[in-house]
Amino acid sequence: MKPFEFFKPATIGDASKILADYGREGRALAGGTDLLIRMKRGQWTPRAVVSLNRIAALRAMEMNGELQLGARVTLGEIIRSAEARGQFPVLARTASKMAGVQVRSLATVGGNLCNASPSADMAPPLIALGARADIAGRDHERILPLEDFFVGPGQNALVPGEILRAIFIPRPADGFFCSYVKLEHREAMDIAIAGVAVSAQLAKSAAEIRNCLDVRIVLGAVAPVPRRAKRAEEILRGNDLTRERIQEAARLAASEAQPIDDVRGSAWYRRQMIEVLTRRQLLALMTAPL
Amino acid sequence: MRDNLLRMAKMRFPILLVVNGEEHELEIDPRRTLLQTLREELELGGTHLGCDSGDCGACTVLLDGEPAPSCLVLAADCDGRAIVTVEGLLQNGEPHAVQKALVAQGGIQCGYCTPGIVVSSVALLRANPNPNEAEVREAIAGNLCRCTGYQKIVEAVLAAAK
Amino acid sequence: MSDATKPPNGSGSQSPGIIGKRVPKLDALDKATGRAQYGHDVTLPGMLVGKILYANVPHARIVSVDIARAQKLRGVRAVITGANNPGRKFGYGTDNTPLKGDKVRCRRDEVAAVAAVDEDTANEALELIRVEYDELPAVFDPRAALVEGAPKIHHDKPSNLFTRYDYSHGDAERAFDSADVVVEGDFDLPYVTHSAMETAFCLAAFDLQGHLTVWSTTQIPFLLQRDLSEALGIPGREIRVIQPTIGGSFGRGLDVYPFEPITVQLAQATGKPVRISFSRTEEFFASAHRQPAIVRMRSAARHDGTLWAREARLVLDAGAYISWGAVTPLVMMETVASLYRVPHAKFVADVVYTNNLPTGAMRGYGNPQSTFFTEVQMDELAEKLGMDPVEFRLKNANQPNEETPQGLKITSCGLRECITEAAQRIGWESRAATDERRFETDEPHVRRGVGIACTLNVGGGARIYRSDGCGATVKVDDFGRVTLVTGSTEIGQGSETALAQIVAEAMGVRLEDVTVINSDTSVKPWDVGVHASRTTFIAGNAAWRAAQDAKRQILAHAAQMLNVSADALEIGDRIVRVKDDGRQVAFDKVVRALHYREGGTFVIGTGWYDPPTQLVDKDTYKGNISAAFGFGAQAVEVLVDMETGKVRVLRLVAAHDVGRAINPMYCEGQIEGGVQMGVGYALTEELLVRDGQILNPTFLDYRVPTALDMPEIETVLIETADPEGPFGAKGVGEMGGTPTAAAIANAIFDATGVRLRRLPMTGERVLAAIIKGESNAASQTEP
Repeated sequence: MKPFEFFKPATIGDASKILADYGREGRALAGGTDLLIRMKRGQWTPRAVVSLNRIAALRAMEMNGELQLGARVTLGEIIRSAEARGQFPVLARTASKMAGVQVRSLATVGGNLCNASPSADMAPPLIALGARADIAGRDHERILPLEDFFVGPGQNALVPGEILRAIFIPRPADGFFCSYVKLEHREAMDIAIAGVAVSAQLAKSAAEIRNCLDVRIVLGAVAPVPRRAKRAEEILRGNDLTRERIQEAARLAASEAQPIDDVRGSAWYRRQMIEVLTRRQLLALMTAPL
Repeated sequence: MRDNLLRMAKMRFPILLVVNGEEHELEIDPRRTLLQTLREELELGGTHLGCDSGDCGACTVLLDGEPAPSCLVLAADCDGRAIVTVEGLLQNGEPHAVQKALVAQGGIQCGYCTPGIVVSSVALLRANPNPNEAEVREAIAGNLCRCTGYQKIVEAVLAAAK
Repeated sequence: MSDATKPPNGSGSQSPGIIGKRVPKLDALDKATGRAQYGHDVTLPGMLVGKILYANVPHARIVSVDIARAQKLRGVRAVITGANNPGRKFGYGTDNTPLKGDKVRCRRDEVAAVAAVDEDTANEALELIRVEYDELPAVFDPRAALVEGAPKIHHDKPSNLFTRYDYSHGDAERAFDSADVVVEGDFDLPYVTHSAMETAFCLAAFDLQGHLTVWSTTQIPFLLQRDLSEALGIPGREIRVIQPTIGGSFGRGLDVYPFEPITVQLAQATGKPVRISFSRTEEFFASAHRQPAIVRMRSAARHDGTLWAREARLVLDAGAYISWGAVTPLVMMETVASLYRVPHAKFVADVVYTNNLPTGAMRGYGNPQSTFFTEVQMDELAEKLGMDPVEFRLKNANQPNEETPQGLKITSCGLRECITEAAQRIGWESRAATDERRFETDEPHVRRGVGIACTLNVGGGARIYRSDGCGATVKVDDFGRVTLVTGSTEIGQGSETALAQIVAEAMGVRLEDVTVINSDTSVKPWDVGVHASRTTFIAGNAAWRAAQDAKRQILAHAAQMLNVSADALEIGDRIVRVKDDGRQVAFDKVVRALHYREGGTFVIGTGWYDPPTQLVDKDTYKGNISAAFGFGAQAVEVLVDMETGKVRVLRLVAAHDVGRAINPMYCEGQIEGGVQMGVGYALTEELLVRDGQILNPTFLDYRVPTALDMPEIETVLIETADPEGPFGAKGVGEMGGTPTAAAIANAIFDATGVRLRRLPMTGERVLAAIIKGESNAASQTEP
């Protein structure tokens, strides 16, 4: 590792100030599970590393009308939290399929999002849940829909000095369902080949028919950023869920993916998996308990 | 620029580490990981370097009670935190039930992954004293073992829970 | 009276004492508590850190190496280049040098090395070295490397073909014409790697007299002594090799690697101890991986279900330098020619130089590869014959006390029992009964299947070197502690404990009174190394002989003390007693009495065992390479997701003929660990190499199965009491992983109707095959 200055400020303001001072040569450290690997490999050589781990405000997880999920909350804490398990089971389930127990003790939701890996698992379900990013700068704050937070592979919307403070997630209404399924080579310690999150606000339109009042389909690991399959959403929104419509939506979702070949899978396979994962989750909604 | 960086490298960061119940006041290079600090400064060699990227679990320690790969933690960031290594699981010289079971059930071959497996399993049993097989496998899924096929490790952890 | 030169084989023996007991490894508690000292834990005063600069170009002439800036960096103690080489070549192919002086032949080639006060400084120094290359055309496909005009890797070799193995028995060519059914296919086997949890390491230190001590993760301490001597021109008698606790190896340590002489050169250059420990990344690109193989295979049978002929033609990519991995065709041909009764067989393998990374041997030594293509075709033959795969295998199984046409003398053989046990425990009968079981799953898109595959392995050493021997001494001290000094090496497999059990049993002493020393070439007698599943068998026989010798000395003196004949005595519970009348003397007292007297002596027994085997004939490759053969059958049940192609192994039964389990717990452990490597080889592990570069040098993307990926393994030990093995034991170290991939491939076929001939069988490849719907096509490619 190249030498760097280490800071561990107690407030978001101080952290933001240091990061702003160092500009592109400063890096925020939360769980460290990505940052330290990149630094050890010499991919990143920051002059300043600013630990966010003394800042209590970043660790809050509270329900006030909506869930405020502090950026510094670990995946392990999400899995164990009553709020996540009760109101947002998709988050607990997603976290529990990431890496392994040991890494989940360190890795944070904010770190997963800020690294902006195309395969970041927390992004698709959070976008499907309609989450917003709460961003604090040196002397400003702003809130961004999470889907606008990702700019490119490894690139997020933060400017130097800005810190992702929390994620705001609206409380789900009755009849709201959200799931995330990914495909991996192994059952743990792996990265998604492809992942799909589906959320839907459902109503009964007839005895056994589910109407899709609203829907989001978010694709992971198949585009430079987590990506909504808007054409697939479009043909479902406001309509009854039928097998034919679901097949069509799954095909559309696959066509909206922009996968590449890499060490985890080929583009053709990833595209096809988007169709399978989308279809399976939509089919499950046909019998969702209302 | 390089001279500047080298000067900074000599900067030392004061920390207090609580390792296996003992307090250590250290002045460390901020680049040092917790793993390096345990092995090189505190001479606790039971925590092993396997991959240096959090992918194998050989360096697992308890960090404030939770199992974590010590290769992905900066020691400078551990100021005031409670750390337990495999050496700290003996009580009055008596091995932990997990350690005894791994010995008795053949869960150890080359033994390089064993300290990490022990720490992960102890963390599991503290949180869940009666795990089923799937829960044991989940708890050690971040600990790669190349010798045992995990079969006897899983059996041992289940036996230790009894 | 039994043969006094051989341990009992266990058949008919009663009350076996410590043999067959599930006792923990002698070092298990140290390992469980973090006290065991591995290579990475060894430090010496003043020790420096060594680091290597790799070429990272696949083929080039070295124009210049500028080390001036690196030498000036504060904290750097030495920088060396190919100019410092002693000017001789080493390695199995006599084609390698520690650092490369004139040209580099692969990306991993070592161009310069640094010794510095710490790792950060050493790494910084590497960045300051400037190397100018004149790039040469490179060749990465071994088939292309054989074509006239291909870039030549070694100018002093006649061609890129290092060697060709050409074996046959019967008349394979004509046998295919007279066969009733023939199956044929192309197989494609990937690079995989050992992935020992501890990376390789070497620490070298000279004393003031110039004696060199090397601490190493090697599996071949005495050959390393010789190899280092060859590479460096240091007399072997000046070299001492110490093996600390070794965190797994699996074949990685079978060859001398350039980093080892480099470490020594750095120690020479600095006058300080120098350590080079591989990072995980280095371990991924600088280990000698299992070589990839391109295979064309055909098999034939007769209508009545008689296996008739096999022919395999292989191209093996050795990479830029030849290792002992070049010898793996000897084992591959054994599978092709001798697994089951095969009247006609032909095997041709070309070992080829390319500009890829050097390859080597990995657990199984060629057998996982050859068992995969051989056993997949056994299944295909059965299918084509309309015969049950189990019945087909039973009909053609090897039997006890027969010699194969290849000249393998099979003595004990439990192959039929293994097949029967594995099939029965996986529920094979119900498989035959109905087709609907394929659909008995929780989800409509998931199919269920079962498959089986068998294995034949050397189980009584393997004579691939002039000696397959091992020496042992057993010393008894005057407090009654028995110390076995064995030439063999413990790499985690548990042989040390098995040897202690053999000594305890042979002498009648308690296991807790036995110490094993096996880590220092200046103390232990010669041994060829830990490989070929040989240690319990070979070192066990040697230890038994040494123990018998020590026991004879003790009984002879006790006989004088008690005034009876030695035959009338027995040793038990720390005493020597007269069997008939119970008169006794303390065991340790006998030892003391031997040296507390005029003209006294001490107790030390010696034993040497080199099995009654032959090197294969250099032209025909025939001959009995091993004194015993191990067998096994594995049956698996899988689920296949027909939409994603993903395979889940639900259950695996591993039934193996181990002769006799000295310690059943670690026999099972060897098999279960082998199964994990087999599951990885089958489904997830592949070192992706493009233009000689590894694309996935991390445990994140080189996917060793985790605890969640492994099925429940049911291990069944079949005991056939081998006549030559110590207490009937045969080697078990490698065969656990040998048939696994074929069993899984056969189960996938059962579930889906598609044959996979390329490993690993990832979801993507399985789905591609399903889409293609090819069940019998010769080769398989992605759409």
